[in-house]
Amino acid sequence: MSSMERIHSSQYYTFFQSDKERCFYIDLGQKLVRLSFCQLLSLRQKVWGITIEHHFDEEVNPHGLEILTLCNREHLFVLNTLEILDLKALLSDVFFVLGIAAQTPSLTSKI
Amino acid sequence: MKDIARQQMSIKVESMDMLNAQIQMEGKASASYLAMASWCDQRGYTGSADFMYQQAAEEREHMMKIFKFVNDCGGNAISPEVANINHDFSSLEEVFETALTQEIEVSKSINRIVASARKNSDFGVENFMQWFVTEQLEEEKSIRDILDLFELMGRDGIALKLIDERIKAA
Repeated sequence: MSSMERIHSSQYYTFFQSDKERCFYIDLGQKLVRLSFCQLLSLRQKVWGITIEHHFDEEVNPHGLEILTLCNREHLFVLNTLEILDLKALLSDVFFVLGIAAQTPSLTSKI
Repeated sequence: MKDIARQQMSIKVESMDMLNAQIQMEGKASASYLAMASWCDQRGYTGSADFMYQQAAEEREHMMKIFKFVNDCGGNAISPEVANINHDFSSLEEVFETALTQEIEVSKSINRIVASARKNSDFGVENFMQWFVTEQLEEEKSIRDILDLFELMGRDGIALKLIDERIKAA
């Protein structure tokens, strides 16, 4: 844990980078998940693919929950609407801080 | 702190997202050309069918070129899902009109990627996409030239046969 540097925190989650292991960690509250860069890209892709509007449609997603598998199905999380929105915001900000995103509305509005 | 993410990926994530959308678009264009080839083949328009088969192969080549580029840059290329391909056309001319509309949409999308890459100083992506800009000009021209044949030769049975004979896969 000491070799990890905190990159960014959202309301529920915290994102770390480990220089020594050349990887990333996300503290999802229930569990600390280790991610390689390509696993991080894959997580972003999955979270981006979630249509949040479906959470407000009783017929499509009556419980407002998402099942999220991470790291080639090594981990499984069940997240509610607020947690998904928070994870989206976290990842958006993190990619900006890591220097591979051109813009992030949530961070730039805070500056 | 080491720049681990930048060491892993040479392009911006926004560019990667747009390139993945382009992969999807090229994949759909390829499938759409196959549907057109099938329509032409079934009605004896063999020249047009050959042209459409070749277009389908070219669109797939474009898709693969972008797909490989995204992965080579350390990104995450997404295999496209293709659905809702139109197989219904009322005439040979409509087939080519649809093809031109499709090519124009592809050109617009490519131009948006170039504009975004330039805005974000993602020069590697901008440079890579230049080939597609030139390619799209040629694609649009070849279909426009075919549509001109309908104006010149008419739309009757024999005219259609003569037009079809003039259409050759490059």
